[in-house]
Amino acid sequence: MITLLAAQAAGDAGIVETIQKTFGLNAPFFIAQVINFFLVIFVLKKFAFGPIQAILEQRRARIAEGEEKLKRIEKQLAESEQTTAAAIAKANEDAVRLINEAKQGAAAFSEQKAQEAISQAQQILAKAEAAAKADRDRLSSELKREFGRLVAATTAQVTGKVLNNDDQKRINDEALAKIEG
Amino acid sequence: MFRRKLIVSLVAWLSCLGPLWAGGGEGHHALPLYAPQLNDFVTNSMVMVWLAVGVIVLFCRAATRKMSLIPAGVQNFAEWAIESLYDFLAGLMGDHLAKRVFWFFGTIFFFILVNNYMGLVPGVGTVGWNTVDAHGHHGFTPFMRGGNADINMTAAMAFTFAILWFYWAITENGLKGFLAHIFAPKGSFGALMMLMMVPIFLFVGVLEIISIAIRPVALSFRLFGNIYGGEQTLEALMALIPKALQPFLSWLPAFPFYFMELLVGFVQALVFTLLCAIFLKLICDHGDEAHH
Repeated sequence: MITLLAAQAAGDAGIVETIQKTFGLNAPFFIAQVINFFLVIFVLKKFAFGPIQAILEQRRARIAEGEEKLKRIEKQLAESEQTTAAAIAKANEDAVRLINEAKQGAAAFSEQKAQEAISQAQQILAKAEAAAKADRDRLSSELKREFGRLVAATTAQVTGKVLNNDDQKRINDEALAKIEG
Repeated sequence: MFRRKLIVSLVAWLSCLGPLWAGGGEGHHALPLYAPQLNDFVTNSMVMVWLAVGVIVLFCRAATRKMSLIPAGVQNFAEWAIESLYDFLAGLMGDHLAKRVFWFFGTIFFFILVNNYMGLVPGVGTVGWNTVDAHGHHGFTPFMRGGNADINMTAAMAFTFAILWFYWAITENGLKGFLAHIFAPKGSFGALMMLMMVPIFLFVGVLEIISIAIRPVALSFRLFGNIYGGEQTLEALMALIPKALQPFLSWLPAFPFYFMELLVGFVQALVFTLLCAIFLKLICDHGDEAHH
């Protein structure tokens, strides 16, 4: 248009007129098409580019927000994993400690029970030994008394003498001394 | 092998006959360079532009009626298209500039694309009425013509861009920066060298002004030429079929070229948008760096 105007200004009206006639270029139709074009601009801007770009922007914002959330969640997850790992490590440590304590406790208990058992066994043994000793003493004294009585009776019959208590005691002691000796 | 040679020869022979039939005066008329008027106020390309506006409105309504954060169907497609174009422009112009001017470049791209594809719909350029002019010449006026096959439409977009280009360039650089960008010497020179460079860069600035003035004209005619050329090609190809068979078979020679026109429609929309974006990026380069 500027070129055409320039050519027109230079007085070369013939060329412009030829172009206008050949191509049907004229002001009213040109203006009408400009109006049509602006109509399209209005329609597209209002009904297409505006809403669609708005929703694209909204989606972009949501995606960015989602990514931000994702990063936050990943960070929280990492922290949570660390916390969990620490808790598990502590729990393991506690468990090991408890097991060791339990083992120690069990060993001590077992030792105590064993000592008790040994003590009881020793007591039973001592009692048994005491009982056996008492039985033996009782039997020994009974045997001694019976032996003495038999020795005294035998001596009395062999000698035909009635033995008094002192004789009987002396004979018994001698006999016992010989036996025990 | 023989069959292939035969087919190639046949196609070449038909291609030679094509212009003969097309120019044979058997009722075929070349598509006029101008968009014919349906009445005093409306041309047939304006009808197509309105239809394109209608299609865009319907598509936008369908895409944005029930917007949801998890897109589906038409919304999904619209988001993909708009986001892809935005990312493409942002890669080219920088995010700041793309955010500021996307409404214009998005409109340019989608409007040209829709217009180009609608121009390929069967019936456009072929459904109309026969006319007889004052000299007794028979003609044919279609009800509809591709929106971008009208220089008024392409010029409307190109000159709108040219005005907005000035506005964005001045607001991004400031008036002083804008003029400096065009006329000031680029690079660092010594005092004497600078003195010698000033007239050269002033001359370069004048060339730049001429280049800037030519840009909208070039943009208009490039798009118009490509789309008009495509339609003209399809029309000429359809005229290759003998007149008696035309009602049944005229679509056949043009059919393969429809695929090419689909590609051309997209490429031309992209080229127009891309060139506009590059022109703006070039002038706003300093401004953009400052923002970064």
